[in-house]
Amino acid sequence: MISASSTIQIVKALGEEPAFKAGDRVRISVRYPVGHYRVPIYIRGKQGIIEKILEPAAVNNEEEGFGRNAGLKGWYYRVAVPLTELWPGYDGAPHDRLVIEIFETWLERI
Amino acid sequence: MTTHDHDHDHPKIIDEPMPGYYEIMETAVRELLVEKKLISPGEIRRQIEVLDSRTTALGAKVVARAWVDPEFRARLLANGRAACEEFGISFYDDTQLIVLENTDKVHNLIVCTLCSCYPRPVLGLPPDWYKAKPYRARAVKEPRKVLAEFGTEIPDDVEIRVSDSTATVRYLVLPQRPAGTKDFTEEQLAALVTRDAMIGVVKVNLEQGIAV
Amino acid sequence: MSQTEQLLKKLPNDIGGMPADRIERTDHVLEPWEKRCHALADVLDFHKILNTEEKRRGVESLGAEMVGKLTYYERWIAAFAFILFQKQILTPDELARKMAEVEARHLEASTP
Repeated sequence: MISASSTIQIVKALGEEPAFKAGDRVRISVRYPVGHYRVPIYIRGKQGIIEKILEPAAVNNEEEGFGRNAGLKGWYYRVAVPLTELWPGYDGAPHDRLVIEIFETWLERI
Repeated sequence: MTTHDHDHDHPKIIDEPMPGYYEIMETAVRELLVEKKLISPGEIRRQIEVLDSRTTALGAKVVARAWVDPEFRARLLANGRAACEEFGISFYDDTQLIVLENTDKVHNLIVCTLCSCYPRPVLGLPPDWYKAKPYRARAVKEPRKVLAEFGTEIPDDVEIRVSDSTATVRYLVLPQRPAGTKDFTEEQLAALVTRDAMIGVVKVNLEQGIAV
Repeated sequence: MSQTEQLLKKLPNDIGGMPADRIERTDHVLEPWEKRCHALADVLDFHKILNTEEKRRGVESLGAEMVGKLTYYERWIAAFAFILFQKQILTPDELARKMAEVEARHLEASTP
């Protein structure tokens, strides 16, 4: 039995906790995987805001594409990007936005 | 030349056109996988039944319930999949569901620019236009023009939010309940909700009639 | 800078934001073989013989011309064939022979 007076120090594994939280400003990385990817080119390099952490942590889908039925488990986030940020000369309303799921390995804090 | 007599059996004359190349490929792949005992014919038949059982009517029921039951609505918005499972709608593809609420201030629409991700467990299979280039290319770039092509005008003071699916979350738009439906039964409400309203390209209105 | 690097860098299905035509509100009732093809994809995914992401990658690797010219389920079944070859579950020769057998079966059945 754990006594009420003892403190438990635990260390969490890397990736066990999401690196980002709702409201964080992020930039979607720019790199060019060939063969398969799930981050459309139109969103790369753009800046947005984390709307939501998607629970639970899940396998990196880009790794699943080559049939190992395995891959690094991590966090996906719903990231909101204003359409004015995506498309120069966007002529809809200035508050229109795109929301897209991005895996943590593609996000940089800004 | 002999006369054609009938004391032998004809193989049945099948009144169907010859299958095309890709149909032959599908048949051949399936038969080989069954021969190798990697899949069984029963599994394919069963999965066809699963697919046939998923139609827009399921989504419409969920929307109608959310319109009449505020607590269900809250559960639906908190966890779309769990709320649909209350109706017995199973998520055979192990996707999650986020339900996007349309309000006087926000109008949502859904797209999959990379392929054709769609909330199949609760809506069935997507229409061809959803999977084709024009919708997928333009919904993320000029959503208001896309909506206009569907006859939908969203005022400038309403925010448009386009959700592009790329992973294992699927989306369902919860349209606004139209005015003039205060005395409608849940069934009558469900009959108003179309597939296109749950994709977000149209609103629900009284002229729409039976769900697609 | 190589002129052809875009062909590798950008997948043929990555079309968000590209110029495109008016939306044609087309739909069609699935042919029986298309529905069987969809069911096959689901069953192969359940077994993890061919998962959903792999199917997507397989369709992408058909290349721009096939992605542009084959219909939705034609792309799927072609992709399945190639992936199953790579996984050494089927060989091209096996598939060709079975396709010939299927075709002959249909021809025989429709011949008086």
